[in-house]
Amino acid sequence: MTRLIARFLVALGLLAAALPALPALAQDNGPGPLRIEITEGVIEPLPIAVPDFIAEDGGAAAYASQIARLVAEDLTGTGLFREIPASAFISPVTSFASPVQYSDWKAINAQGLVTGSVSTASDGRLVVKFRLFDVFSEAPLGEGLQFVGTQESWRRMGHKVADVVYSRITGEGAYFDTRVVFVSETGPKNARSKRLAIMDYDGANVEYLTDAASIVLAPRFSPSGDRVLYTSYETGTPQVYVIDVNSVTRQTIATGGTGMSFSPRFSPNGQTVVFSQSSNGNTDIYALDLASGSTRRLTETPSIETAPSFSPDGNQIVFESDRSGTQQLYIMPASGGEARRISFGAGRYGTPVWSPRGDLIAFTKQNEGRFHIGVMRLDGSQERLLTASFLDESPTWSPNGRVIMFTRETQGADGAPSLYSVDISGRNLRRVPTETGASDPSWSPLLD
Amino acid sequence: MTTGQKISGIGHLALILILLFGEWFAPGDPPEPPESVDVSMITEAEFAALTQPSAPEAATETDAPAPPEPEPAPEVSPPPTPAPTPDPPETTTPAEPDPAPAEPEPVAPPAEVVPDEPERPEPPVPDPGADVPDTTSADPTPREAPRVAPTPSPETPPVPEIAEAPQPTVSEDAVTDERAEDEPAASPEEATTEIVTEADRPAAGAPGSSPRPRPRPPQRVAEALPETPDDPAPESVPEPADEPEEDPQEDVGSAIADALAAANPDPAPQPAPAPSGPPLTRGEREGLRLAVQTCWVIDPGSPAAQVVVTVGFRMNPDGTVASDSLRQLSATGGDEQAARVAFESARRAVLRCQGAGYDLPQDKYEQWKDIEITFNPSDMRTR
Repeated sequence: MTRLIARFLVALGLLAAALPALPALAQDNGPGPLRIEITEGVIEPLPIAVPDFIAEDGGAAAYASQIARLVAEDLTGTGLFREIPASAFISPVTSFASPVQYSDWKAINAQGLVTGSVSTASDGRLVVKFRLFDVFSEAPLGEGLQFVGTQESWRRMGHKVADVVYSRITGEGAYFDTRVVFVSETGPKNARSKRLAIMDYDGANVEYLTDAASIVLAPRFSPSGDRVLYTSYETGTPQVYVIDVNSVTRQTIATGGTGMSFSPRFSPNGQTVVFSQSSNGNTDIYALDLASGSTRRLTETPSIETAPSFSPDGNQIVFESDRSGTQQLYIMPASGGEARRISFGAGRYGTPVWSPRGDLIAFTKQNEGRFHIGVMRLDGSQERLLTASFLDESPTWSPNGRVIMFTRETQGADGAPSLYSVDISGRNLRRVPTETGASDPSWSPLLD
Repeated sequence: MTTGQKISGIGHLALILILLFGEWFAPGDPPEPPESVDVSMITEAEFAALTQPSAPEAATETDAPAPPEPEPAPEVSPPPTPAPTPDPPETTTPAEPDPAPAEPEPVAPPAEVVPDEPERPEPPVPDPGADVPDTTSADPTPREAPRVAPTPSPETPPVPEIAEAPQPTVSEDAVTDERAEDEPAASPEEATTEIVTEADRPAAGAPGSSPRPRPRPPQRVAEALPETPDDPAPESVPEPADEPEEDPQEDVGSAIADALAAANPDPAPQPAPAPSGPPLTRGEREGLRLAVQTCWVIDPGSPAAQVVVTVGFRMNPDGTVASDSLRQLSATGGDEQAARVAFESARRAVLRCQGAGYDLPQDKYEQWKDIEITFNPSDMRTR
């Protein structure tokens, strides 16, 4: 017993003696790195410089400046970039190959720098080369690239350059080399003629796919971008057609049944078309297998189900239904079956479209006399209204899931529809320039 | 008996050990170094000069809660002003100092507004008067800071102009006019710290709520701003001509340095144990944090805004970043691509805002020789 106590006291004494030395040991490491956490930044466009591209020969001179301007327009049009005007440049870029004077670009706060050259190949085609630099890191961002194309397709080459710059800086896919199919509208509201038209995403190069003889509705691109589904009143009742964009040949989609068919949309693999069909006052959703021509009914309720849209993986379908008494959004398996309601806010929800990223659903919402374009998560949470106006409808996603284009119609007898685009953050709302009235846009995938 | 004693002995021993060493294992923070505050002696006159301006400052604090959007401002300003200030309601720049004009206006008799008369023939009252207006003129600068313009206004004329007009009411109006005119040029269109969508704006009428006021940033940010290399000064033109020639030399120099470093594994600076100095004060840390955050550009809609990234880098004694030491320490919350973009954005923030060097105390170099900054955008996502 006493031995135990003695041992214990000794141990205690030893420990007490060792104590003062310990803090000194701990401090021996010296001061570690200074650690700071930053939780707030600024939301502002990134300043970039896009000096005119260098024309390597006379034939390219006409395009060198135009292509650089187009690249800058594409980038600033996203709202994520701001172009530094050429008047601020300190040293002009005179040669594509010469090294970049980073200090000159730092001095004007250019964070990104795009340089390029245009030359004419022996067969008359244009060769566009470009490089992208991260000025403050004094390093190129990725390899330089070159595109070859006909002189007529110079805009496409400019869009492709902008696509690469955009995705290298933002880490996302881009959407500049894309097309939009829409309904071109002319004439007064009560006697409007409607034609199917297709244009570049920025409103250039408009072509018409149909004449104004019959009313057309709701065009939808195929996943590969070569075909367009739409609804036409040619026969008196709405009927679904598919048209080849390049050959402008079209064929009827045999939807079966006797009632009206409308609101068609492709599945992500392009082999199935979902659409609504109404007969005897009841509207339901059907799926048509294009290869076999067989039709299957996906919903069986006495209420109105319409506006189906596939998830990017093709496993689910989001649609609108008034089965609860008001128009709301639901998700069901692509094969039909139990549907889950996802919208619960005030007002009426319609025309849902699944984001190509798969994480959001865009929709139209009508509440308290105003229309909104909004987005929500797949479970209906984090609903965010991006716009508000007299009439906003028919949203369509950019292929990278970053931008939504939609129809906005102004009030009054001479009100006209036009196309607008908005970033999913709600910023950068802008009108897409079209010569005529325009509605019902559908955005193509990135072109090859 | 012995078992009981053993149990008792072991129990006591454990208790004593816990008492002695328990706190080492506690997860608490490492003992905080004693807080030290820099003190400098000032004269009574200086003290008076320092404390006097605090009154106008307090006034701006109460202004701060006003919503950042320019919309509310017009509702205040129209009634008192007859005509001469048409500009303020229309300017939509984020750094709008609208609240400030709103305050003097009720005081100023509308009849005496003379916006076209900046120069006043009256002899300026010497010292005490000149002191006070100076500080009020400093007003707009701090208020802009939270939504710092990426391109600081090249002209900062208000200071001399206001000093000329120490007389109260009448001239003050003239001054506010000028300020309002200058403003649109000063701050670029789209810089902001939060997003207001079209849907957020009420159809008409007053706003339903106002955002909570932002903390006043310390003076240091305002100082740091002019240092950012935004100035497109044409004076620096001569430099570029020299640079291409320097390149090969630098290459040789760095090659020699590399070779030396390889030959001598112990670099010279290491052995000299510089005094670590006292830890950085809270203000010094805040200053660095604010300086970097004003350059951190976030795109809330991008996948990169889901990534929390930590970067580490070494500092040179002059306050500049040893840019080759910048590296990513960790990234969580996104795929590889998103992490890369988040890191590049963080790297740009660190490099772009250093200017001629961050404002850090020389004598504490050991404390900030190595820095790790975590960029956490979780508060910025889609708000």
